Amino acid sequence: MDLCISKLRKYYHNKRILDVDYLNIKKEKITGIIGDNGVGKSTLLNIISGLDKKYQGVVSYDGKKLDREIYKNMTLVFQRPRLFKRSVYENIEYPLKLRKVNKIKRKKIIEKIIKRLKISDIKDNKGHLLSGGESQKVALARAIVFKPKLLLLDEPTSNIDDKSTKLIESEILRYKEKENATVIIITHNKKQAERICDEIITIDNGKVVL
Amino acid sequence: MDYILKGFIEALKLLVTLDKEVYKIIFLSLFISSISTIIASLISIPLGVFLGIKEFKYKSIFSRVLFTLMSTPSVIVGLVIAILLSRRGPFGFLQLLYTPTAMIIAQTLLVFPLCMGLTYNLSKNRGKKIDNVGLTLGANLFERIFLIIRELKLDLIINIVTTFSRAISEVGAVMIVGGNIKNHTRVITTSIAMFNSMGDYKKAIALGLVLLLISFTVNSVVYSYNQED
Ligand SMILES: Nc1ncnc2c1ncn2[C@@H]1O[C@H](COP(=O)(O)OP(=O)(O)O)[C@@H](O)[C@H]1O
Ligand SMILES: [Mg+2]
Repeated sequence: MDLCISKLRKYYHNKRILDVDYLNIKKEKITGIIGDNGVGKSTLLNIISGLDKKYQGVVSYDGKKLDREIYKNMTLVFQRPRLFKRSVYENIEYPLKLRKVNKIKRKKIIEKIIKRLKISDIKDNKGHLLSGGESQKVALARAIVFKPKLLLLDEPTSNIDDKSTKLIESEILRYKEKENATVIIITHNKKQAERICDEIITIDNGKVVL
Repeated sequence: MDYILKGFIEALKLLVTLDKEVYKIIFLSLFISSISTIIASLISIPLGVFLGIKEFKYKSIFSRVLFTLMSTPSVIVGLVIAILLSRRGPFGFLQLLYTPTAMIIAQTLLVFPLCMGLTYNLSKNRGKKIDNVGLTLGANLFERIFLIIRELKLDLIINIVTTFSRAISEVGAVMIVGGNIKNHTRVITTSIAMFNSMGDYKKAIALGLVLLLISFTVNSVVYSYNQED
């Protein structure tokens, strides 16, 4: 059973933005979505993540229509990370607090993640004041800290340096392997898609092209 | 010109000698306006945040009504509350007219739409993005409203101060439902009006100075908060 999209149509002011007859996204794999600016990639992720509910068609996971249970095990990292006005540490801590993980356990989990993403020395900095690359890493850490089964990433390495890009890529790969997660990643960069994705989907003008 | 200067000096004297009547008036003013602001904020901030991010039918009409209510004249609110609380009115049995409680009720109702409107507008413009982040991280509605309040804390404090300023400077509502009774319901604004008409300029000026001082103080608190951000 996979993530399945059928007869999906999305309009903005009577203009059709998405028109996807059928799309199957494999479970426990990394699927890349590529395509030019404005073709509807982000719109598609917003729909899958449940943020956008105004569409026609069906999105299902494991043969079930998306529901609260699935949304709880899914997350989306926005193209422009929106970090909270609190420290990097507290940003990453937020989803764990929501899930009532105790303080000692939270600390253990977070320390591991910030070490791997090399953000230990900015852990006390305010989230909303970080540079682009730093905030992308923190946003990724905040997303995977609660181990979602479905990880949706909207251009997670746009506008950042090669070193950070490599770090983020290897973290995504590691996460998928370790947690058997399903990952969907929008990227501009064809090379990046070829480096880390198991499957690649191209979108053009709201349609999936092969 | 001489009597103005004299009034000023006499006013300062009243303030430094801690004139009992003057200070009673000041404390009642601060008390009533603070309580009203707190009650109005506690309800209107979560509600305003919620309605700001929520999409519902007739939202644009709702916005319009809310903005209109923000500028309700204080005498109208005073009049409505006075009628409701008057001896023959539906809540007359409570015997609240001409008490500080009636003044709190009137002021709370007066500033509620203001605080709600400001919060609603803020949330409508900046709340949705925060709401979406909360959603992606698994927060429920209450957790998201709380998150938005925390993220917009500085702007909300400014709204609260604006609300308090409106409460403490209004005269119509507290005059009508309070009646400006000595040692009981007399506040800064109603006293200024009264002392002025009685020709007691020194007390009018003293209280005027205090009102200005309060406004400047709360607004400079807001200013320093802004700088911090
Ligand atoms: N909230 C919106 N209202 C109206 N049009 C929108 C909105 N969001 C996106 N669009 C339009 O939908 C199209 C697809 O946008 P998007 O999915 O963000 O593209 P991509 O992520 O592929 O660059 C664009 O033409 C964009 O202008
Ligand atoms: Mg996009």
